[in-house]
Amino acid sequence: MSARSVDAGRLAYYALNGAIIAFLLAPIAIVAVFALNPTPYISFPPVGVTGRWFVKFFATDDFMVALWLSLRVAVVVLLLSMLIGGACALALARGRLPGARFLTAFFMSPLMLPAILTGLALFQVFQLAELDRPVWGLIVGHTLVAVPYVLRTTLAVLANFDTRVEEAAASLGASPMRVFVEVTLPLIRPGVIAGGIFAFIVSFDQFPISLFLVPPKGETLPVVLFNYMKFDLDGAIAAASMVSILLALSVVLLLERVIGLKAYVKL
Amino acid sequence: MASLADALPATRLTPRPRRPAVSPIAWLVGPALLLFVIFFVLPFAVMAVLSLLSGNPAQNPNVYLTSRHYVRFAGDDLYWDALWSTLRIGIVTTLASLLVGYPLAHWMARMKSRLGHALLLMAVIAPMLTGIVVRTFAWMTILQDKGVINTTLIGLGLIEKPLPLMYNEFGTVVALVHIYVPFMVLTLTGVIGRIDERLEQAARNLGASRLRAFAEVTLPLSLPGIFAGSLLVFALSISAYVTPFLMGGTNVLTLPMLIYQQVSSSFNLGFAGALGVILLAVSLLVVIAYNHVLARFSGPEGLT
Repeated sequence: MSARSVDAGRLAYYALNGAIIAFLLAPIAIVAVFALNPTPYISFPPVGVTGRWFVKFFATDDFMVALWLSLRVAVVVLLLSMLIGGACALALARGRLPGARFLTAFFMSPLMLPAILTGLALFQVFQLAELDRPVWGLIVGHTLVAVPYVLRTTLAVLANFDTRVEEAAASLGASPMRVFVEVTLPLIRPGVIAGGIFAFIVSFDQFPISLFLVPPKGETLPVVLFNYMKFDLDGAIAAASMVSILLALSVVLLLERVIGLKAYVKL
Repeated sequence: MASLADALPATRLTPRPRRPAVSPIAWLVGPALLLFVIFFVLPFAVMAVLSLLSGNPAQNPNVYLTSRHYVRFAGDDLYWDALWSTLRIGIVTTLASLLVGYPLAHWMARMKSRLGHALLLMAVIAPMLTGIVVRTFAWMTILQDKGVINTTLIGLGLIEKPLPLMYNEFGTVVALVHIYVPFMVLTLTGVIGRIDERLEQAARNLGASRLRAFAEVTLPLSLPGIFAGSLLVFALSISAYVTPFLMGGTNVLTLPMLIYQQVSSSFNLGFAGALGVILLAVSLLVVIAYNHVLARFSGPEGLT
């Protein structure tokens, strides 16, 4: 094989991958362009730079009420899923439970079963119980889909460290409680925190479950944006999108610092 | 031969290592189990029961068991069409995600530089952390009649009328591929990364071209990743609601869209439940297949 055809193959390989990266990232860049473009409706090419859409987003009560609700729900979901998911991961990895493999698949299943059905099923239960879409119901729904993320990151950390560390502490005379508090907990902390950060993002962006579980006038940000987009596509949506994207990006950077993205890659 | 026959009963008599006792740490599974039983298993059971009832038992005490919601589904082409569009969109999205995701996963798995790897990973995960509503919005601005692609093509004089890129299955699939391809890339990267690069090298040393070495060595070895990633993307895309709703407009009707319609405008919980059970049945098949693939190919060095 001649050197030239090898180079052509390489070139095609990199060109293809460059195009794929562009496909992945261009939509995000385009949202940024529209968030700054002053024309009243989405139009291309952009004609200038303005901050008016960000002003509109932050000055519109409906958006702000929804943003605060989304942030509050996401914080509660973060705490709940860290506690429940972290504890669950410990039990699955160290509890010597019979059927741990099945239980792991069971606790991961909200990620693969349609979230829209989780929303529908919870909605039906609340209807039968004659509860009118309480906020705690929304939090429960989000926690169901957030726990698997904490479970995954914590299980990845637990799989990476040796039980011999704990055995060594025990053989040096530490009580099981002390081993747990002084050895196990600090070791799983990065996994639990990383999972919690994902839980926050998952809750903040959650749509299909929220769709069924939010009352009118008590909608989360994605639901408000969706309803707005049905009738209007203007820069305010782009600005709102940028706010969400910047939040997500800062979280990714935080995550990279806390644990590195590797743990998450183990799907 | 004799020694082997003698050895066999002896091995059978050796006591199997006793399973270590369940540790007290196992109790920590309690909160999660409670949450999942009350708010996950029970609601799905309620959904299945409601799909077989004539009405809402909380409001009407005279409800009776009926199969009429399923009969209604079976007797109307509209619903079969919705089921078929859901599956078709799922299949096309899955195949397209595989074609788009494989080269990137291959590059990422073979990337030597740590920085390059981290940057690629960021590029894959950043869209994942952007909500589906936001990403669907982005695709609307790109594909609509006055969107980025059509305006650019008209501006260049290449076309006169905007191309129908949106409000159809094409636009729906493009946005869905963008939304779910990161799951494909991450699944594939893990598998390709574990294939020994020297195998491909050996094939090339024996005279195979680069393409042939890939097609006959790396590709077959990455099959478990292809299966797992495809099942994951399929499961996710058949349950999508926002994207088909906004990108498909009135030309696309999928099961999730029908389900929400039944709840929000027809207030028919029973029929919504029946549609839910049908979608759930499809998803469960996919999930079982996915777990089967994972179990079959996982070990200490396996897929998970």
